[in-house]
Amino acid sequence: MGVAACGDEDEPATGGGNSGDQTAEGKSLTVFSSLPLQGASRVQTEALVNGAKLALEQAGGKAGAHTIKYESLDDSTAQAGSWTPEAESANALKAAQDESTAVYIGAFNSGASKVSIPILSEAGVPQISPANTYVGLTTNDPGSEPGEPDKYYPTGDRTYTRIVPKDTIQAAALVTLMKQDGCTKVAMTNDKEVYGAGLARVIELSAKEQGLTLTSNDAIDKNASNYRSLAQKAKAAGADCFIYSGITANNAVQQFKDFAAALGSDAGLYGPDGVAETGFVSEKDGGIPASLNKQVKVTVATLSPDQYPPEGQEFFKQFTEKYGVSNPDPYAIYGYEAMKLALDAIERSGDGSKEKIKEALFATKDRSSVLGTYSIDENGDTTLTDYGAYGVENGELKFDQTIKAQAQG
Amino acid sequence: MEAASIPAGPPASQRIKQLIGTYGLTAVLLLLPVIFAINDLSEQGNLVRLGENLVAGLSNGAIWALVAIGYTLVYGIVELINFAHGEIFMIGSFISASLIGTLGLTVDSSFIPVFFGLLVALVVAMIGSGTLNVLIERVAYRPLRNAPKLAPLITAVGMSFILQNVGLLWKGGNQQGVPDLLDAQKTLVTVFGVTIEHADLLSIVVTVPLLIVMTTFINRSRLGKAMRATAQDPEAARLQGINVDTTISLTFLLGGMLAGAAGLIYAMYQTTIWFFQGFTGGLIAFTAAVMGGIGNLRGAVLGGLIIGCIQQMSDNRLGSEWTPAIVFSYLVLIMVFKPSGLLGEQTRDAG
Repeated sequence: MGVAACGDEDEPATGGGNSGDQTAEGKSLTVFSSLPLQGASRVQTEALVNGAKLALEQAGGKAGAHTIKYESLDDSTAQAGSWTPEAESANALKAAQDESTAVYIGAFNSGASKVSIPILSEAGVPQISPANTYVGLTTNDPGSEPGEPDKYYPTGDRTYTRIVPKDTIQAAALVTLMKQDGCTKVAMTNDKEVYGAGLARVIELSAKEQGLTLTSNDAIDKNASNYRSLAQKAKAAGADCFIYSGITANNAVQQFKDFAAALGSDAGLYGPDGVAETGFVSEKDGGIPASLNKQVKVTVATLSPDQYPPEGQEFFKQFTEKYGVSNPDPYAIYGYEAMKLALDAIERSGDGSKEKIKEALFATKDRSSVLGTYSIDENGDTTLTDYGAYGVENGELKFDQTIKAQAQG
Repeated sequence: MEAASIPAGPPASQRIKQLIGTYGLTAVLLLLPVIFAINDLSEQGNLVRLGENLVAGLSNGAIWALVAIGYTLVYGIVELINFAHGEIFMIGSFISASLIGTLGLTVDSSFIPVFFGLLVALVVAMIGSGTLNVLIERVAYRPLRNAPKLAPLITAVGMSFILQNVGLLWKGGNQQGVPDLLDAQKTLVTVFGVTIEHADLLSIVVTVPLLIVMTTFINRSRLGKAMRATAQDPEAARLQGINVDTTISLTFLLGGMLAGAAGLIYAMYQTTIWFFQGFTGGLIAFTAAVMGGIGNLRGAVLGGLIIGCIQQMSDNRLGSEWTPAIVFSYLVLIMVFKPSGLLGEQTRDAG
């Protein structure tokens, strides 16, 4: 499997000329991606990058008449083990200042997009996130904070789109799943980040609407040595299930260990797409112990290959052939589709200008894709709604079922 | 009757000040437990929840106590805050975890190999961490012994970052799981409704003997006396024929060994280790040393146990986002009432 590194560049298959140069055939344009290539999400982001590369390769490095170069940027540091605001803002500035920039694919974490959206919006750079789910990035729906999303768009010009359903859908899916599994009282923790705290708020709303009791919603200290007291509190409150709203890097594994020990081996343990990664599910990669595998379920907006339309199933075959992985990471298809959408928008833009690409992106309607048919609405959100529920088997995510949850309220 | 013949008592404000001075510290220390005890009794009719908080607090606190002793030993003898000590503790965890992997110990291993494997890991972690601490003293602190105090202090901060990056390169940036060889969170026994887990026992079984050995060594042995003499007055100790350099090295060795032992217990207790644990753990242990009275061994232990209990009570009842603030509020209040710490002694600096 090819490993993408910071500043990794895929040269165009054809064409040439300087960045942004107009040639007889079109312009030389750059698609940047900004993802955490180090830390717990590394496996997912490698899959995203490889998916994007595959899409570009299949297009012959072209989008209409334009020649496309892909540059993969890293918004994480080894020290942090996850994204950092400094790295994300540096990446966004790089893309904003590069005249050849056509599209910015990213960020992976909603908190990171909170940093990059204002920079890119001001520079008019179209953005496609393959993973963000936080409600407040695009709407002021319940779960968002005051002033959102307008405060991220200082010029008032919307430039941000995403191809994963927002957390309103994910929260409903998680609550549906927990109810379906027989949970009656659920203890919740969140990691205080934009994504984790935001999703926790939406889960609270969804639980209320669906009649599921949440015993707590504790914001955790990610540097705490353990969470046994919180787990004991949950046990004392009669919780029979636990849900964590956050990302793996914020001490998710320790929380699942401690809550599993306190609530017992029958308790269901749930997590969102923020933990749907190898660093969380695989014991040998620092994830949860194998003994917890049967208790854990996570949701992620990726379905089993056989649940996708023929194009999606074909993608998984091609990805497996190209990178030699038998069980592609769920995020590979999002990297692929993000690049396909970017290339499609560039082609539809005609002249390859940022303004026209952005217009084309927001004009995406009934797009037949590997993910299914979807549109991008006026807020930049996808119209896709299906979430996949995954169990864990032998340290790997194993597709369980598709949850057709609808956002409430 | 002449007014002058009536013995005039101190004014009311002074009496209140005296009362606060005498009982304020005790009141501060008992504030949370008493409030929670009343709450538990009125709501549940028993003290099980508080008991569980205290058991978890004492076992967690025992680990901080082992690390805190390292800070206090070094400060007592060279009056240096060894900021790298937290990272020595982290390296102790990493050595233990690596050795457990090398020895092939897993959750399925039987009691005998686990027992002897952990014993070997304990010894190796103690020796490894102790030796590393001695080397740091020799390379980074000894050449600066007569330099202005800020020089070794900043060197200690530098060593802390260097070791943190060693840990980062060694095990990566994410938390790493350690096989749960002892079924750490399995209930061992229930006493009056309070559950005591394997991890609680491990923490106490390793910590208490080590503390007894340590205090006995310092109080009774010839080298221990040399350490105390050096702590009181290095120049006078030198004139009495004590090799001050060797004594200081020995202090770093002992502190490092305890940090190594704490590293193993931490790995077994949490079953998760990571390169940043030394920074956060070291900060807590340093706070414990200051709270107990830096330079005082019993104070470091007391501080560690108190902080462990505060953390557990706060996590359990107030929310973990408040815990650091609660711990440091306690520290501030204790310092206000007793600036030298709970069992604080005069140091050479303090006069």
